[in-house]
Amino acid sequence: MTRTRKPGVSRRATLAMMGAGAVTFATPRVARAQAKTIKVGMPTILSGRVAQLGTSSRNGVMLEVEKVNAAGGLAGRQIEMVIRDSKGQPQEAARVARELVNTDGCEILIDAEASSGAFAVHEVARDLGVLCLHTNSETSALTADPKQHIPNAFRTARQGVHDSIVGGSYAAAIAKTKGLKKWATCSPDYAYGRDTTGEYVTYLKRFAPDVEIISESWPKLFQPDYTEVVTKILQAKPQALYTCLWGGDLTSYIDQANIYALFSQMEVFAVNMADYTALTVVKNLPKGIHSGNRYIKTYPATPENAAWGDAYKAKYGEYPTNWSWENATAIMLLAEAAKKANSADGKKIAEALRGLTIKSPFGADGTVTMRAEDQTLVGYAIGWGTTIPQEPYVPQVQAGDWKTIFELEAEWKKSKGYT
Amino acid sequence: MTELQAEQGAQALDGPHPQAKTRRNREVLIALAVFVVLALLPAVFSSKLLLDFVIRCAAYGLFATSLNLLVGYTGLISFGHGMFFGLGAYGFGLMMQKTGVPIPVAFAATLTITFVVALIIGAICVRLKEIYFAFVTLAFQMLIHSTILSWVSLTGGDQGLRGGIPRPPFFGIDLSNQLHLYVASCALLVIGLFLMHQIAQSPFGYTLRMIRDNAIRASFIGIDVWRAKLTIFVLAALFASTGGIIMALFVSGAYPEFAYWTISGEGIFINMLGGVTTFLGPMVGAVLLLILNDTVTRLTDYHGLVLGIVILFFAIGLRKGLMDFVVEWYAQRRNSAGERG
Repeated sequence: MTRTRKPGVSRRATLAMMGAGAVTFATPRVARAQAKTIKVGMPTILSGRVAQLGTSSRNGVMLEVEKVNAAGGLAGRQIEMVIRDSKGQPQEAARVARELVNTDGCEILIDAEASSGAFAVHEVARDLGVLCLHTNSETSALTADPKQHIPNAFRTARQGVHDSIVGGSYAAAIAKTKGLKKWATCSPDYAYGRDTTGEYVTYLKRFAPDVEIISESWPKLFQPDYTEVVTKILQAKPQALYTCLWGGDLTSYIDQANIYALFSQMEVFAVNMADYTALTVVKNLPKGIHSGNRYIKTYPATPENAAWGDAYKAKYGEYPTNWSWENATAIMLLAEAAKKANSADGKKIAEALRGLTIKSPFGADGTVTMRAEDQTLVGYAIGWGTTIPQEPYVPQVQAGDWKTIFELEAEWKKSKGYT
Repeated sequence: MTELQAEQGAQALDGPHPQAKTRRNREVLIALAVFVVLALLPAVFSSKLLLDFVIRCAAYGLFATSLNLLVGYTGLISFGHGMFFGLGAYGFGLMMQKTGVPIPVAFAATLTITFVVALIIGAICVRLKEIYFAFVTLAFQMLIHSTILSWVSLTGGDQGLRGGIPRPPFFGIDLSNQLHLYVASCALLVIGLFLMHQIAQSPFGYTLRMIRDNAIRASFIGIDVWRAKLTIFVLAALFASTGGIIMALFVSGAYPEFAYWTISGEGIFINMLGGVTTFLGPMVGAVLLLILNDTVTRLTDYHGLVLGIVILFFAIGLRKGLMDFVVEWYAQRRNSAGERG
């Protein structure tokens, strides 16, 4: 059997190609020198059901990054964002975060992941020691639980327990004046829905002790049909309904409940209503739904906030979301901290961030603060109001009182064994 | 690649009457060589990306190859194999978080738990055939997934195991060091593949192929089909669980997604990519899928579209996995060379 040279790729050529492939693969694309630009990595969700979370987070970040770069960047270094999709899978979030730091040479992470993804990125930050700003996870434990605490991770988002305290006290005041005693709840069946509803009810009962929950519904996340839930609530005949459905789930729910005229039969408290993702999508927005503010450009009612909302709309053709302002705040804080530290070094920025107060369009009093003790954002605008079917959608927002929030939050932390 | 080429050589040399013992010795040597090559990689390439990549390949490779023991060798199309991946990740993570036992103990205990669970679930499932088997495994997977979601006090619900998995050093191995984790993952991968290959090549492995091709005939010649199926179901679960443990170590946590049906789906996807008629097909498929995933997500947000087209290409264009294609192409080349010579 003699072997002759055959057409096609030779073994040597194959080996050479494999070798070349291996080298390309293994060479770090970016030398991690003190480059003039500073790379900021951002794992987020850009595909699937909640892709809007990622796109509006990205928009919020880019709007601010442009401003910071125009003003000279982070301590003289231009920011270059590297934004990548995690598909909402925690293992992908962890992988992407590691890749951003290890291979792409990112020196700061903006973690725009939701729920479990945020905890996965948090572990990467713990492991690599890189400065990390959580911008979308509102799960209280992320910063409140001392076991989670690491010096290089911060949160620039709302915190669940803050919302519950404000929501509970607002609802209790209305319950007392209108005599609402029988309540129903209807929230998505996952950690956020269960925890937020539980905390809300706790504070509602604390401020209005004679309130009674007569019906609970837990539709699945992303459930398309709410007929069953709506009829169940109508049969229970409550005087008020609380829901923390959000986004597309909330709008589907409202559209379907409208058919049964649910909103004329009870007071409805929907914490996630006052966000443009819900307000602009509902077909017939009922008048008088009580809602917490997520992001609306009319609250805080300041020219700065209105200008920010309009600038965003002008650039991206849609209004900002709750995620937009939370991510924009991360960049604003980074810029101020870098200025204060006069450095773009992660450790120095982290040091400067602790306790930092900055001017912000989203602040309850025009400022927001990165609280030093648990490295989470406080002082942001938080309030409740009622809807009208057209812009500005929620004309009168009653502000939450941060003094009360702090008191009750401290008490809550103690009850959880966090302090 | 080394192992692949070497194995093909080995099969060709073995001839019709393989000397089982020499072959095993040769395979041990090949496995050792592969391990040494993998372990020396970081000395040549300093890329951390490569380390992360190989660790993930180890997790997915073990998982997909163990699935192929069921799908390719026994003809059991399991849609719920991901439950054991999740069980491994959660079992190990919880053990380390709650009890603080040394890592090898937690590893052994996790495999023991997987063994028991797989035995129970397997005993119920393997009686069924084809689509019924597929759906009952899927049902059990969803049961485990729902349990993880609702048992919040133990598992953390949909937020997953938070706070990191402690990794105390043992025998001088510190798994919180990426390099150590890399070497350990390579070792687990090579040992796992070696053991699975031994299973596939053993008389028991041939029994499985017979059951796949004609279960009735197998039972007529005295094979206890149920017991054989159950055995391979449990064994495959153990390897999938090991994959889950590696993944838990890599992300320092465990998340409900690890036990969701999408993981099982990815396993099937990998098997389709790599091919189910060769032992190394799923391993190649795993590497392929991860390369595709990592490069495509870098370039576009529409990775679902790209991956979909790739799988369509394999399913409709090649009508087989990559390794099936390569092996056939190689055989054809040899034949035509023989004819000409």
